[in-house]
Amino acid sequence: MKTLVVIPCFNEQDSIANLVKEVVVYGYDYLVINDSSKDNTQKILDEQAFSHLDLPINLGIAGVTRVGFKYACDHGYDCVICIDGDGQHPPKYMKELIDEVENGYDYVLGSRFVNEKKPFSMRMLGSRLLCLLIRIKTGKRVTDPTSGMRALGRKVIELFDRSMNFYAEPDALCYLLHHGFSVKEVPVEMKERNAGVSYFANPLKSVYFMLAEILSIIFIQ
Amino acid sequence: MGFSLRSGLFIASLSALVVIIVAVIRKSLNIKYSIVWLLWALLSLLMAIFPESFYKISDFLGIQLPVNTVFLIMTALLYALTFYVYIMISKHNEEIIKLTYEISVLKKELDELKKKQ
Repeated sequence: MKTLVVIPCFNEQDSIANLVKEVVVYGYDYLVINDSSKDNTQKILDEQAFSHLDLPINLGIAGVTRVGFKYACDHGYDCVICIDGDGQHPPKYMKELIDEVENGYDYVLGSRFVNEKKPFSMRMLGSRLLCLLIRIKTGKRVTDPTSGMRALGRKVIELFDRSMNFYAEPDALCYLLHHGFSVKEVPVEMKERNAGVSYFANPLKSVYFMLAEILSIIFIQ
Repeated sequence: MGFSLRSGLFIASLSALVVIIVAVIRKSLNIKYSIVWLLWALLSLLMAIFPESFYKISDFLGIQLPVNTVFLIMTALLYALTFYVYIMISKHNEEIIKLTYEISVLKKELDELKKKQ
């Protein structure tokens, strides 16, 4: 199966080179998408001659993954796997996700909580609420709806290339579950981010994120 | 509507009309989008000159003060216009993503060609 590893990155000069070297070992095609970083990321990508796209404007994570899916669709890939550029998704789990796509699943999610218990924190409270909503809407059980590590089959790639009206991962997952795509969760471990600031460090943004997700899951997907 | 309100509305809508026309002539506003603004300015001009029709609408809707009818119409129009703008923004977002994708792929292919030579 022709597989593409999409690595969105924004200001990841410290981690991107090591991450790509780790990914290359597994032998899949990969594509780093540089979301017009302001640091030396572009220079590093050019110098090391990594396969990459340089976006002329900053699109944000949703736009960047969309660009990745377009690329995969245009270049005839059967499977896309998304790995964050900050190195929180260890590449050693890629094969397990891709194998499940090969087994016929449309959308395979790397989940931190298949076997592990969720810790009690504000963030996990949000995660539980999203799980509950997806359960109510679709009747299906998921454990890690916010996970950004996912592998997509050809059907989903084409769908996301045509139109991708989602706010983020959880409502996209809900849409796929609700419209009869086969979804599977695979246990993975994720690393804590070693550099940079999380989007959710800002409480206002977290509240907006939750609100947008809740409304999107209830009314739209 | 009292005389001062009518004359205020008259002056405001007339100057809006002038501003819109000047903007179109200076090409800072597309003709395509100017139509809705021109119609709006003309409508408020008509409101100022012939307020009787608004008295009738107010009676029909059971609104005691005709000025509230003016506010109602203006607010409804603003809602519609803002919604239209949001639709345009969404469309532009999609188009920007497509263009960004095309540009970045062209850049990549160009770089690869240069390296081969």
